[in-house]
Amino acid sequence: MAVSEIVPTEEGRGLYRALAFRRILVICGLIVALAFSFSLDLAIGPARYPLSEVLSALVNPSGAELQTRVVLWDIRMPIALMAITVGGCLSLAGAQMQTILANPLASPFTLGISAAASFGAALGLVAGVAIFPAAVQYMVPINAFLMAMAASLFIYLLSTVRGVTVQTIVLLGIALVFTFNALLSLLEYLASEQALAAVVFWTMGSLTKATWGKVLATFIILVVCVPFFARHSWALTALRLGDVKAASFGVNIRSLRLKTLLGVSLLAAIPVSFVGTIGFVGLVGPHIARMLVGEDQRFFLPAAILCGSLMLSATSVVSKIILPGAILPIGVITALVGVPFFFALIFADRRQSW
Amino acid sequence: MSKIKSLAASLLVTATFLPAMALAGDVVTVTDITGREVEVEVPVEKVILGEGRQIYFTAALDGEDPFKRVVGWRDDFEKADNDGYHQYLEKYPEMADLPTFGGMKNGTFDVEQAVALQPDVIILNLDAKVATEEGGYIEKLGKVGIPVVYVDFREKPMENTEPSMRLIGKLYGKEDKAEEFIEFRAAEIAKVTDKLAAQSDLAKPVVFVERAGGYSDDCCMSFGNENFGKMVEMAGGINMAAEIIPGTFGTVNPEQIIASDPDQIIVTGANWELYVPGGNWVGVGAGADPEVSADKLAGLMERPGFTGVKAVRDNNVHAIWHQFYNSPYQFVAVQQIAKWLHPELFADLDPEATFQELHDRFLPIDYRPGYFVSLNSSK
Repeated sequence: MAVSEIVPTEEGRGLYRALAFRRILVICGLIVALAFSFSLDLAIGPARYPLSEVLSALVNPSGAELQTRVVLWDIRMPIALMAITVGGCLSLAGAQMQTILANPLASPFTLGISAAASFGAALGLVAGVAIFPAAVQYMVPINAFLMAMAASLFIYLLSTVRGVTVQTIVLLGIALVFTFNALLSLLEYLASEQALAAVVFWTMGSLTKATWGKVLATFIILVVCVPFFARHSWALTALRLGDVKAASFGVNIRSLRLKTLLGVSLLAAIPVSFVGTIGFVGLVGPHIARMLVGEDQRFFLPAAILCGSLMLSATSVVSKIILPGAILPIGVITALVGVPFFFALIFADRRQSW
Repeated sequence: MSKIKSLAASLLVTATFLPAMALAGDVVTVTDITGREVEVEVPVEKVILGEGRQIYFTAALDGEDPFKRVVGWRDDFEKADNDGYHQYLEKYPEMADLPTFGGMKNGTFDVEQAVALQPDVIILNLDAKVATEEGGYIEKLGKVGIPVVYVDFREKPMENTEPSMRLIGKLYGKEDKAEEFIEFRAAEIAKVTDKLAAQSDLAKPVVFVERAGGYSDDCCMSFGNENFGKMVEMAGGINMAAEIIPGTFGTVNPEQIIASDPDQIIVTGANWELYVPGGNWVGVGAGADPEVSADKLAGLMERPGFTGVKAVRDNNVHAIWHQFYNSPYQFVAVQQIAKWLHPELFADLDPEATFQELHDRFLPIDYRPGYFVSLNSSK
């Protein structure tokens, strides 16, 4: 009797360990892939430096020639790092939106945060309006950020109203998307061709605006948000079982949802205001992560960040190879690079992951 | 029966010719830049300018009073060329009261407003063609007898400037003035191209043209094979971005500038205070302070992509008025670029004097220098 009781437990423990081990392996694989993609991003560029020169300029910047140093440390490095931090932020934002809203289509895009940011940026680019007039030279990112936060806070405040369900929040987000898109179109309609080109390019997303300051800002927001989500990882995992079950486990759903929404807003608004609209990552990054490691937040959280980072980093590399010397809007390439991979995953893994 | 037939036929003939006869001598058929044949009653007395900057060619033909025909225009002149706008405003304060249109380029314009102004013709830029055709505006305006013609000074300026000027000359009843302008322009361009053609072993410098440098913090917009790209080639240079940018407009990776190491850098700019207040753009244009322009230009060269580039080391960095890309005055830019690229060869050429002459002979306003600035003060 006692023996037969122990065996399944031992077996279960072994199975669990194997599963966890497999998931850790997947995450390690993602880290290796990301490191590889990051190195490629640093090594490839229109200025064809030999690998040895790249390495020595990275290891010993002061010993390198000025041009090599500038190319590596001021042009390639911020872009390569920005791809990683922005990809991570957006993917994490999308992941937690999908978790708290129990909706596989939720992303910074679908809740109107990107659209709000685009409208804010266009307000600066077309009309020269600075919402925060003290810093005119940063008017475009500041406008974008303030608009994105305004949209998020609007959703946040409305979701604190009693009786508002998850579905209502999603619908609200969709309403915001349409509102801001209409306002954006209105501005585009009024714009000069010069301003119009700037707006269109902005809305397609671009990493070339990357600077060390922006890299730092996106990195900080990631560093601030990750521990918060990590601390609530069990509660967030429970939330995916449904509100009622999560509540029965003792999770304060309401407070968790609101706090998460706030974190997600920051995670989405800051990168979008720096690099423009890169929509695909926030939606698909989390799905890829979910297919690879499942729903358990302890693995899902890092995997989502890594998937987003990897996607954007790989995109940065690919865009340099497709049209050497020119700049392609990153938002366009992201979808083109990510979609085939995403398809492959969907068809390879037909078990219902959502 | 046959009598009735012939009567009917003659009636029909008369009926067909009557409206034409009533306007005989006034209505001409003109062919616009897109090859459309349009019937217009000339000379036109009321014109709607599809772009505010079309005042550049209107002023060249209607030198005595450039606004006498204009009954409405798009609102871009003030924003895109603030200095030029104010120079005209000083002399023609009434232009501030002209009805304006917005958004004619990318979308549409208010047909009702256009009809209410009762213009004899609407002049549109070629780049508005797709939008106006989608909206069926030509047909709608045609129903109330308002013809639309397309001109082009931007997409293929070197091919289309002459036919465009000829067309406008015909519309305004200023054919002679238009021919005079075309002749002047051709002669001034020939001063550059003839001399270059005569050189057997011309060393062509690589030139990077940055479009609207400092307009946004994105680096670096440039030109492919057309417009300023073409002007550089005409002026005896190699356009760096020609092989990188597939179309006319595009963006170059900042690192590419370091990789290509251009011999010369030309940044286009204008006073864009209304678009990007306090931006890093170089505000060259009518009466612009050359020291301010030079300072801003030098500031732009501190961006990472310009580090240690040959042009920057040699101070072969120049700024030029952006609106040359969209006006019949482009030949002045060709001369100035040629002089920058080949200073010895074109030592005698004086682009400022050419621009001065253009103002004296054709334009209602005085020439105010400030359209060019160079960090290489010896040129």
